[in-house]
Amino acid sequence: MADNNTVGTTGHQWDDDEGFPLQEYNNPLPKWWLYSFWATILWAVVYWVLYPTWPLADGFTKGILGWSMHGEYQQEMDAAKAKQKVFNDQLAKLSLQEIRKDNQLWQYAISGGKALFGDNCAPCHGSGGVGVKAGGFPTLADDDWLFGGDLDTIHETVANGRTGQMPAHLQAAGGSFSDAQVNDLTAYVLSLSGINADKTAAARGDALFHGDAACNACHGDKGKGSLKDTVNGQPPPPVGAPNLTDKIWLYGGDPGIVRDSIAKGRTGFMPAWAKGSKESGRNLDPLAIKQLTLYVHSLGGGQ
Amino acid sequence: MDQNLARTYDYEVIKKFTIAAVIYAVVGFLVGVILALELTFPELNGNIPYITFGRLRPLHTSAVIFAFGGSVLFATSYYVVQRTCKARLFSDFLSNLTFWGWNLVVVLVVITYPLGLSQGKEYAEPIWPIDLLITVVWVAYFINYVGTLAKRKEPHIYVANWFYLAFIITVAMLHIVNNLAIPVNLTDSYPVFSGVQDAMIQWWYGHNAVGFFLTAAFLGLMYYFVPKQAERPVYSYRLSIVHFWALSFMYIWAGPHHLHYTALPDWASTLGATFSIMLLLPSWGGMINGIMTLSGAWHKLRTDPILRFFIVSLSFYGMSTFEGPMMSIKSVNALSHYTDWTIGHVHSGALGWVAMVSFGAIYHMVPRLWNVPLFSTRLVNVHFWLSTIGVVIYIVAMWISGIMQGLMWRAYDTFGNLSYSFAETVAAMHPYYLIRSIGGVVFLAGALVMVYNVAMTLRSATPATSTQAA
Repeated sequence: MADNNTVGTTGHQWDDDEGFPLQEYNNPLPKWWLYSFWATILWAVVYWVLYPTWPLADGFTKGILGWSMHGEYQQEMDAAKAKQKVFNDQLAKLSLQEIRKDNQLWQYAISGGKALFGDNCAPCHGSGGVGVKAGGFPTLADDDWLFGGDLDTIHETVANGRTGQMPAHLQAAGGSFSDAQVNDLTAYVLSLSGINADKTAAARGDALFHGDAACNACHGDKGKGSLKDTVNGQPPPPVGAPNLTDKIWLYGGDPGIVRDSIAKGRTGFMPAWAKGSKESGRNLDPLAIKQLTLYVHSLGGGQ
Repeated sequence: MDQNLARTYDYEVIKKFTIAAVIYAVVGFLVGVILALELTFPELNGNIPYITFGRLRPLHTSAVIFAFGGSVLFATSYYVVQRTCKARLFSDFLSNLTFWGWNLVVVLVVITYPLGLSQGKEYAEPIWPIDLLITVVWVAYFINYVGTLAKRKEPHIYVANWFYLAFIITVAMLHIVNNLAIPVNLTDSYPVFSGVQDAMIQWWYGHNAVGFFLTAAFLGLMYYFVPKQAERPVYSYRLSIVHFWALSFMYIWAGPHHLHYTALPDWASTLGATFSIMLLLPSWGGMINGIMTLSGAWHKLRTDPILRFFIVSLSFYGMSTFEGPMMSIKSVNALSHYTDWTIGHVHSGALGWVAMVSFGAIYHMVPRLWNVPLFSTRLVNVHFWLSTIGVVIYIVAMWISGIMQGLMWRAYDTFGNLSYSFAETVAAMHPYYLIRSIGGVVFLAGALVMVYNVAMTLRSATPATSTQAA
């Protein structure tokens, strides 16, 4: 840049009462600035010719490229859909078990399932099904199932939902047992997972568990839950009663929380996701349900 | 040197606005830090509705733009217009009306936003009764400013005043049109525009609030304080004229780039993008004129931290006015839109340019307003470094976070399915949110140093010295 002093000022002066007075040099516009400015204007004009730009009385100039935002979107979506159609057709035709055996098709299904899971299931079950907090939402990345971990059962769970009902036992909460009895039951349930509890209380709880409270009717004689246990040699009803012996807790394993579960009961609720189910807004089509099923099945505990 | 003339200036209203600016800076930055931490650790809002992100966020933006930025602009424009016109402000009544009226607006905003009373328009959240009050204050400001220009004792109007005047007129127009609404009760109203037209009006307002409130007005500030502090003439009179008119003309068209890939028609979107590109050089005109004013006086940067504030603010200004047009190109916007990149861009402008040029102006004015030397020049330097480091940490964190976020959103696997769920992108941003919070804390610490420095300076000003100049 030229030395400022050679061009001189405009001769105007302001604010000269105190300090250096304001003046302005007569420097010309910097050349690079001016040329760059013209270049951006030229760029804009070219852009106006290529793309839709100027409003007219009736519509607007369309641009010689024929580009439109909606056109671009539609093109990309169509291309993606065409690519997926091959897989989707197969997915619709084959059973879950057949898809599971076809490696590429299976990979496709769980890739779609992962995306669906992230948007629909992760808020409760956590990213990758690893669970959020012990808030009554089962972890899906282990093999501790409530209703079953085979493909058909998972499909049923996702499509039509589940309800898990644990009744209240404390008198004050509508049950038929005293404070002391609920404490005894708590001690017994904790002892099933090897958590140290008052042995005599646990013994009284044991009697209640298999007697008046009839917990074994759902949780099984050994407390191993509706899937792994038996009651008098018969399998318990498929009501999703959890295994109480594996230190995996649906609502938390602190003594206070376990006691709460027994005293006040719990209602677990998994919504139905299939299109046409009663729940509004959860209209996943059959393909999506299949993909989700295969994805959940792949998380670690599929049977 | 006509000392009698200087004594006729109304410095009282400028002093009040300057103190308000210093206080609002800290409040605005503090709320910003709280918000940054709430984004990092959402449980920090304690489930208290009044301090949830949605209600505090507009409080932050309004506090920094309108309370802090507005007070700086009132203070500096009143200072500049009097000194460059050699005339006292047009009306003491109007000066006081603008001060108390503007602060009443701030108080009402602080009460209504946390209660959830909002128009839901970004940067235009105040409910209609507050909008009317803003209009009254703004008209008073306009009359006071133009009245002062009219009774000037200088033959020419200095360039800083063109920018301030463009700001006052344009903001009046933007505010009125964007807030046209039909009230249904004391707190609620319906906008007269609807759908995409309302969105377009909102971003015509929103973008030009950036253009005329945060750019043109602060360029006016720059045109007075940089040559005055550097003790050098402005580099080019011609450049100041050309870029003033080019900036004013181009800016007003650029709003649609906020609505790329929405219901806004293609043509409006393209037009906004091209005008944003053409805006680049007019914006840079101010930077060139500011930085080149220092040519021949570069050595002063070694000793004058106030000048450092100015030169670094102009650099951030140049950087964000380059980044902005780039982000307005549709293909870039497809990546940057709705990501933290935008937040980083805004803060490189708001912290790097607006706040830092304001700090420089405050440090320049305070000794002259109260007629005492600044308490500590070393602390100005400490403030300068805290601000610079804070801004850099902030914007680098947001660049990384924003570009990563945009890339994760659009990532597809080999089967054409999305690779990441939204929640996974949120989890990935967590470390950068923490880094951003740290940047914000450092910047806030700098502002606290300024509060201390200004307070100590004011303490040394006896009533006698402070009225001498008033």
